[in-house]
Amino acid sequence: MSSGLSSLSSSDELDNFNPRTSPTTPPKPLEEELASLALTLPHPHLLSDQEDANGVSDGSEADSNGLGIQQSDEEMRVGEVCEENVVGNSASMVQEPTGGSDGAGVVWGRTNSEIEVDRPASPSSSGYAGERGSSSASSGRSEMDGVAEDEIQELRDDDASIGENSNSVPSWVPGKRHGDEDDASISWRKRKKHFFILSHSGKPIYSRYGDEHKLAGFSASLQAIISFVEDGGDRVKWVKAGKHQVVFLVKGPIYLVCISCTEEPYESLRGQLELIYGQMILILTKSVNRCFERNPKFDMTSLLGGTDVVFSSLIHSFGWNPATFLHAYTCLPLAYGTRQAAGAILQDVADSGILFAILMCKHKVISLVGAQKASLHPDDMVLLANFVMSSESFRMSESFSPICLPRYNPMAFLYAYVHYFDVNTYLMLLTTNSDSFYHLKECRIRIETVLLKSNVLSEVQRSMLDGGMHVEDVPVDSLPRYRTISPHLGQQRAPSEFPERFKESYAGMGGPGGLWHFIYRSIYLDQYVSSEFSSPVSSRQQQKRLYRAYQNIYASMHDKEIGPHKTQFRRDENYVLLCWVTQDFELYAAFDPLADKALAIKICNRVCQWIKDVENEVFLLGASPFSW
Amino acid sequence: MGLSTATTAVSEAIQLCVFDSRRGQQEGQELDKILFFYPADLPFTKQLYIIGLSEGLITFTRTFSPEAACEVIEAEKHSHVFFEAEQDIWMVLVVEKNKELEAIWRIDALQKLLKEIHSLFLMFHGSIRLLLEKEPTGEVSRSHLYSFIVDYLNDFLVGKKLQLPSFADCLKERGTVQMLTIGRDAALEVQALVRTLDSCIGNASCHSMILFQDLLVSTTLSPDDTTNLFSYAVLRLTPRVLSSGASSWSYLIRGNVSPHVAQHGGNVGNHVIRPLQHGKWSKGRDGFLETDIWGMEASGWVGSTPKIWFFQTGEQMCLYVHQHKNLTLILLVPVSSIPNGEQGISIVRQYILENASLKIMKLEEKLSKGWSGENAYHVGGYRYLLVDDDRQISRASPPGKVTTLTKESLLAMSKLREKVDLEKSRAKQDSDGEEKELEVTIRAKNNAWVISRITRGKELYMVLEKANETLLYASDMVEKFSNRYCNGAFSLD
Repeated sequence: MSSGLSSLSSSDELDNFNPRTSPTTPPKPLEEELASLALTLPHPHLLSDQEDANGVSDGSEADSNGLGIQQSDEEMRVGEVCEENVVGNSASMVQEPTGGSDGAGVVWGRTNSEIEVDRPASPSSSGYAGERGSSSASSGRSEMDGVAEDEIQELRDDDASIGENSNSVPSWVPGKRHGDEDDASISWRKRKKHFFILSHSGKPIYSRYGDEHKLAGFSASLQAIISFVEDGGDRVKWVKAGKHQVVFLVKGPIYLVCISCTEEPYESLRGQLELIYGQMILILTKSVNRCFERNPKFDMTSLLGGTDVVFSSLIHSFGWNPATFLHAYTCLPLAYGTRQAAGAILQDVADSGILFAILMCKHKVISLVGAQKASLHPDDMVLLANFVMSSESFRMSESFSPICLPRYNPMAFLYAYVHYFDVNTYLMLLTTNSDSFYHLKECRIRIETVLLKSNVLSEVQRSMLDGGMHVEDVPVDSLPRYRTISPHLGQQRAPSEFPERFKESYAGMGGPGGLWHFIYRSIYLDQYVSSEFSSPVSSRQQQKRLYRAYQNIYASMHDKEIGPHKTQFRRDENYVLLCWVTQDFELYAAFDPLADKALAIKICNRVCQWIKDVENEVFLLGASPFSW
Repeated sequence: MGLSTATTAVSEAIQLCVFDSRRGQQEGQELDKILFFYPADLPFTKQLYIIGLSEGLITFTRTFSPEAACEVIEAEKHSHVFFEAEQDIWMVLVVEKNKELEAIWRIDALQKLLKEIHSLFLMFHGSIRLLLEKEPTGEVSRSHLYSFIVDYLNDFLVGKKLQLPSFADCLKERGTVQMLTIGRDAALEVQALVRTLDSCIGNASCHSMILFQDLLVSTTLSPDDTTNLFSYAVLRLTPRVLSSGASSWSYLIRGNVSPHVAQHGGNVGNHVIRPLQHGKWSKGRDGFLETDIWGMEASGWVGSTPKIWFFQTGEQMCLYVHQHKNLTLILLVPVSSIPNGEQGISIVRQYILENASLKIMKLEEKLSKGWSGENAYHVGGYRYLLVDDDRQISRASPPGKVTTLTKESLLAMSKLREKVDLEKSRAKQDSDGEEKELEVTIRAKNNAWVISRITRGKELYMVLEKANETLLYASDMVEKFSNRYCNGAFSLD
């Protein structure tokens, strides 16, 4: 797999993508330009300083890694040994950039082929091993096994559930799965959620499962459906069949399709297709459309070569990252002063010609600053963070990469300087100037110095360990500051009404009143904060189910024709969900299905009050105006 | 104003087709697939377009969902609603969306409409597949389907336009029966009458159904047959229908649709029974309803006895309808046990007149006394729909009261029902035997409470427009309603 996209090897051709930098250069054929972008390989260090390359202990190791990637790429071209490709790719992904577990990934890559397929990964074995096992032997198996295979995947997901706070190697490994399948495979047909990108002439561009080339026929039938409906003067949105839903999205010459039986509502699946399209634009800009204008049968796969990991990790995030449907970002909880300190130094450098300066820890924002009048859409942040986090080469060394922010300007490239301070914490400096690598590098050094001096980085580490808001900590005492915020969520009763019931429902069962989890979205800030998962939703599967329940209730609250609703109470066999939308915020809270309604309402009010009390710490306040 | 003339103006708004995907598989033979198409004068290319798209998606979706093929295609301007009436025989309804014209649909309601058409067709004509097997050219099936569906759709004709059930009908449930609540005394009298009716022909297994106005009083039929026959009775037999529609409809039928039907069915030389034709039933002097739908007896004086097919047993039954004021009695006698033609029929009638007349009069009197009019089931402050899925029964606020709701509230309810429909169908497909339990209370943008409760196969939908603003208040309202009118079925304790 190419890691070339994320690091710029030769900037000359790329200038053409930014009309502002060299408008006089006679343009090359666009396909060629884009192709050169995608295929420029494999020297991630060309522009990086070896001594500065934080986290890469040994240049030669990185090189050999790159070589391995290239080999597997060739194997893919031959079209035979797709599994090997998965191995090679995954092995490189698992590698720890800090050098803490050097070589471990490689060893796994070798040993995994011996793992028994039928045996699900034991809790102690790495989830990665389970994945490898399942991918290697999927081809010749019966229908039943095809189902079991997905279960294996679920189990593996469970391993990853501890997630946020642990610094262990994430068990979920991005990259193409089941590359040996095609639409004739029963296992392929039984996958719960497919994503496809194809061109308007029916050429496959991306498929989540299976080999794009083998799916040409299938891709053509998707195209036929879309154009058949278009011929009738209409545009197909979705098709339902039993538990399956097929969702279509047409973006000029690019068609996107999702086939899913995950019970997610149409609005969510469509939103996910929009994000996938955005991710593609982030890599290529919308000028890729011109390729299709010149040649309708243009084959785009080569342009996206090596970006499987980016798409697969985005698709994975549809199952755990609320930002993908809330259209808001979340911050790492930090003391107000700490975040201020980080913001101040970012602001400092931003004044020197930087468009956006973003400091993040995993998918959470520590601080971000934009140049005057420049605003960053939360969806762009999701896509940018996903792009950076999923591309292993960014971890290897500081990098300078062309990227496009689809909501900011889908036609032009920006340039992103990316540098990891530690395993999870990274800085992104975005500029319109393709020549500013050394300037940005200097900025980064200044920022790093200040962050170290002011202990921001260690505070970040601590926050990672402590986690965010815990439902167990919802204040239950009736302090004088308590008041009923919502007139229609709660009756104006005395605050100390259920003291004994609070305690009763408390122990080991989530928070007071049976509260299991909540998400609070501030409308003005475009930010959300969600609680950590409590014990009743500790497994990955439980979390995924809750996440989907949130997606559903979010979609029903925000119906385009009649929404937004003001309040919703929903009780089914899994949860009580309480949702409350005001002009200022939205609250989504999940309770035990047997929770008492009156008490749940009261707890929601307390949660809102609690968040107001700590908003300095959980939100980034006073950031540059977001005026989209 | 017949359908055929109306089509030119609104040809694109609504299309309904029935096709058999086993037919016309050779290239150039595709037209043979089409068993019915409305509007009939739509160019064949357009008809084939709809059928081509439908077949394409049925095939495509089977790749992923072999057990349940395409149910809906939702496009920007149209919804295509599918119903596989019989194996490989599909009904597809295409409706145009139009916000200004309030053309906002609930898919499940449209599917129920297709299902109703087919169920009624089965009741009168038997299965389409069987007709096709009997007469492989398909001409008989086509002429039967044509007159049947067109007669059915006539009920939805408003001016020149077909108005199918839209969001405004969200507090109704097609394919269910509405019951009259009766006291103990009346129940005993009903029982006695039913016993008399069901034993009209000695040991033969007769069945009966009694209606008071448009409400069911008693039935000895299976649930499916009850639902079908009840639907038919409310469409064509009850006193309300007989007194109102007949005269105004008759000229339409004779004027426009009939020639068209003749053109379709005429060359078969086979009489096409049109049980849904308007104005074809009338009350005779002895209280029995007469019709010439099933042709005339040899004597030429009386119409042939109507016959229907039972859904499950496939048994053919003779249909007798007797009406006394508000009371309608429907008696079903197996065709096989009617001794000898006309004579046997008059024996049955005679039996009823002699043995049941008094009981009928007394019961009618009692029920009429206890009946408080069309708003009998109105509950002040509530707009509701109550459905018992297992028994296929529903009760709702009277239509006149539902129309007082704002468009926003009705839309919100329609949307909520759509969500609930989806969850119900998923729960069904999961088939783990667990019944869906669900409680949803929404405060909509216009401050109305829109509520749905599902428990043990019972469903309650409710709109509260003039309600206090707290969620707990809304819940109390539901609780009170449940305790008072549903034996606490939806109460939480």
